[in-house]
Amino acid sequence: MTYRTSLLLACLLLPTAALDVAAQQPATATAAAPASVLDQRRMQPISGDAQAGAGKAAVCAACHGAQGVAIAPNFPNLAGQSATYLYAQLKEFHDGQRDDPVMTGQAAALSDADMRDLASHYAALAPKPAGQADVSSRGAQLYLAGDPAQGIPPCQGCHGPAGLGPQPHPSSAPQPPWATFPHLRGQSALYVTKELGDFKRGARAGSSNAKVMHGVAQTLSDDDVQALSAYLNAW
Amino acid sequence: MLALTGNRTTPTALALGLLLGLFGTPDALAGDTSGTMRVGDMQFGNALDLRGWTPMLHPADPDGMSYLHAGMLRTPTGALYPYPPMVDAGTPMGQGDWTYDGVLEFGYLHIGGDRNAEYFRQYADWRSGAVLGLFALNFNNRKTGAYVEFRGSHLSGDDQFYRLRGGRYGSYRIEAFYRDMPHTVSTNAYPIWNGVGTTDLTLPAPLVAGASTPAQVAAASAAAPRRTIGLTRTREGLSYEGVLYRNWIGSAAITNEKRTGTRLWGGSMFFNYPFPDDGGILETVRPIDFRTTDINLSVRNVGKLWHFLATYNGSFFRNHKDHLNFESPFALHNVAGAPQVADIKDGQFSLEPDNDYHNVRLDLSRELKWNGQFTVAGAWGTMRQNDALLPPTTCTGTGGIYIAPTADYTFQCANWNTTAALSQRSANARIDTGLLDARVTFQPTPAFGWHAGLRWYREDNKTRYLAYNPLTGQYGYISENGSQGSVVPGETGIFDPTNPLYWSSDVAIHNVPFGYTDSIFELGSDWQFGRKTSLGVTYTYDHNQPKYRERKRVDEQRIKFDWVSRDVIGATVRLSWEFARRDGDKYNYDPYEQFFSESLPGFVDPATGLPAYTVADMRKYDLSDRTESKARAIVTYPWGESATLSATFYGNRDQYDALIGRQNTSTTGTTLQWDWQPTPATTMNAYLGAESSRMGISNVNDADGPDNGAIFGTPGQTNPNLGGPLYPYANQWWEFDRESNRNAGLSFSHDFGRARADISYNYTGSSGHVGYNYATIGALAYRDPAGVAAANAGFPDNTYRTNTLDLGLSFRVNRNVGVRLYGRYETGAFSDWHYAGLDNTLSYDHRLYTDKGGQLHYSVSLVGIMLNLKL
Repeated sequence: MTYRTSLLLACLLLPTAALDVAAQQPATATAAAPASVLDQRRMQPISGDAQAGAGKAAVCAACHGAQGVAIAPNFPNLAGQSATYLYAQLKEFHDGQRDDPVMTGQAAALSDADMRDLASHYAALAPKPAGQADVSSRGAQLYLAGDPAQGIPPCQGCHGPAGLGPQPHPSSAPQPPWATFPHLRGQSALYVTKELGDFKRGARAGSSNAKVMHGVAQTLSDDDVQALSAYLNAW
Repeated sequence: MLALTGNRTTPTALALGLLLGLFGTPDALAGDTSGTMRVGDMQFGNALDLRGWTPMLHPADPDGMSYLHAGMLRTPTGALYPYPPMVDAGTPMGQGDWTYDGVLEFGYLHIGGDRNAEYFRQYADWRSGAVLGLFALNFNNRKTGAYVEFRGSHLSGDDQFYRLRGGRYGSYRIEAFYRDMPHTVSTNAYPIWNGVGTTDLTLPAPLVAGASTPAQVAAASAAAPRRTIGLTRTREGLSYEGVLYRNWIGSAAITNEKRTGTRLWGGSMFFNYPFPDDGGILETVRPIDFRTTDINLSVRNVGKLWHFLATYNGSFFRNHKDHLNFESPFALHNVAGAPQVADIKDGQFSLEPDNDYHNVRLDLSRELKWNGQFTVAGAWGTMRQNDALLPPTTCTGTGGIYIAPTADYTFQCANWNTTAALSQRSANARIDTGLLDARVTFQPTPAFGWHAGLRWYREDNKTRYLAYNPLTGQYGYISENGSQGSVVPGETGIFDPTNPLYWSSDVAIHNVPFGYTDSIFELGSDWQFGRKTSLGVTYTYDHNQPKYRERKRVDEQRIKFDWVSRDVIGATVRLSWEFARRDGDKYNYDPYEQFFSESLPGFVDPATGLPAYTVADMRKYDLSDRTESKARAIVTYPWGESATLSATFYGNRDQYDALIGRQNTSTTGTTLQWDWQPTPATTMNAYLGAESSRMGISNVNDADGPDNGAIFGTPGQTNPNLGGPLYPYANQWWEFDRESNRNAGLSFSHDFGRARADISYNYTGSSGHVGYNYATIGALAYRDPAGVAAANAGFPDNTYRTNTLDLGLSFRVNRNVGVRLYGRYETGAFSDWHYAGLDNTLSYDHRLYTDKGGQLHYSVSLVGIMLNLKL
């Protein structure tokens, strides 16, 4: 054992001792994902009482319409939407993962059962009647095929070829939470434009699904957003 | 306490207790992406960091691999993917779209114990001192996808790498690299010569070439300093891959590898065993000074219907030291005739020649109906070398043996030590290759598919060399630089149709231009049963036509079954079994007559007939009839959500239809592995592997001894048959080789948040046994009592064993500074009868060795402290 080796080992002891102290300190932010993000990856389809939900929807109708079709294009249509998606959005508003001047306040007073019932109610309504979308438009191309050169994935992969929700193939591989993905057909162009902008900027990033959309929206130019919004609106 | 304990083991044990770490600053860089085959070099790493990116590891991302899928993903067969590292978003550069991130790791390593142990240093230049663990700097433009990356590491001047890479994702990539890699052959070598590493090995005083006694040589060997034999590979390269025009993608790469150093080599001056105090067998050291330049060019196009790929590969080898001259210290004595007319004391090797390789290849494929695809590939290649040839000998004066005027076996060196003694001045060697490979596959229904393929490949050796000396009109070459013919009369190595002394010498006069044509037909089909089970059957017919070999045709038929199920009590099970039979046309045990002087005009058969070339019942293992079977089972069991248990069992059996030659081979092995990652912060793996293999050989000794049938040169030696007078049954012997390998590994790591601990242990062990049996002592080369006793004792087993323990700790001081503590303790044991006794002396009579071999036992410890800075 040389003196040099002893010295080296002694030096090594110091940081090891210091480590015990360091290890007792609270874990840093890197050790876990931010608690405010809603992890939807294990979320199962929800169930609720649609009839009871109808009774709780009076205040909602002021913006989203009595039959779930919005009274103005800045509000989303809810009729025929995925119940699980609607429940997840209400829960995000309720828990603060999604922020909106109106909806944050409206959702604050809702119980979990209220949210399930409301979601089931709107999911049971007939969706807005189909329109005439331009299948040769840039928006249709983006929705159905994406744009590989720009890194844009086709929207239909998650939102379904008809815009009425995903139609996954049977597989034994781990499945995404299909029920949490919204139907987009006939959705207001103004609303879609705003949401894609929020996804892109990170203003809507409170859930694992929003993280996915953040990456997707990053690939879309302003023109692409307009084209997609117009296509979905007319569909 | 450490300073007071004077033995070697205590500090090592204590060092173990403290040792040291692996992973560094956690929030560093993204993982490395290895280069493609077209662009870039292989994995960049070194002994401190085998993976090349360990210090860059981030803490595992608890979000797992996807925002879409919960939990950890598995491969289709059930193996867990590791948790991905948490990616650093980088630091913005000004107001633009560029960000940068980087890490600098540097520190100090200390090596203790047997730091020169051969197996410890084999591929690493470990030294105590300062090291640059890693310097990495990345620039990324998230908007355009452009990037620039630099990585470098420096353990020593012989163990380092640097790489600069830039480009734009989806568009192009340029890479330049430089690296040095050490390869130690021996750390226990004692060459006696001056000039090690050059082309001229000369003897140090007081040794005199051709006139030193074994005692003098032994003394020189004992006094020789210990040296390390090895080489350094220096590689540098430049490459590009990118879009040329629309769907056309091109690549170009040039790499240059220079190897410099030394290697252990031979140096015989005729054999010493049958003639004690004569001849010489030497282990020398040769220089390594190569350069290989590789050029790869490709262009490819993916059209709607056709896919196209054209490639050119060129490889250019240059040897800057194309020969080795050495002085032999030992004297030669002719066994008959007047004492010592020759003074042969120098040897010369011709080393690897400069050579060029070119290959052009075109691949085409297109889609077909029924979900089918057609692919066809054609290639042409040529390998050429045309180096200047060296003279047949370097001797001067008169070589050979003079017995009487009618038995004058001398030769004039002046007629052989010049290139005028050659039939051609340069090699003019060339081998051309051709390939045509076509294949169709169809998948008409999801449950059924089939494929068929036809492959044709030819290797055409155009090299024709005639060993003819126009100065003397003689054929052949001066063997052993003249030493053989100076010890034994007539064994000069030449044929002379005008000289009765040489007109019956059957010596090699031509090279054998080995080549072959191989045609393979394959037909296969796959069936899918349900969603989770499939069966595949493939039939292959291989028709090989070797040139200038014992058979003109060798056919092998093979059938293979694969069964895969992804749901056998929750596990994936893969089973395969294949069976093959090989046969061919009539076996000619001696197809080489045309390459020997017996085929020349003027050749006179010896009075006793031409000696048999070899035993007629010999069947070379690559041509003999053979039955082969292989079986394999792989089980992968997902054990809960966070663990995987996998096991592999395999066995191969080969039976050769040969009285003399290889009889059978078999391999049986198993592996067992458990992987567990209960949380992103914790991983544990355990691995066990075992394999045993056996090989049986049958052979026969020729009856060349007075106590064992006919004396060499008597009637009967022309009979090539087993059981005849030259190859009697009594001289048969059999060898049974047995080898077993075992390895085990255990690793555990846990991330405490600000600190991370790692521990890993690895064991490798192998054991080799050479067993044999023989009919009578007629099978032995030496039949004196000592030789028979040695044969009865057998060979000791060869063993090789290493244990390596790595312990590590790393922690963060703050966001940008971390400390990495690293340590290793390694022990090894080595025993090989090839090196038995060399630890005591390297000199035996006229045989001189240089390498004592690996250390019988060694232990070495390595500790290091690294500072990590996030840039």
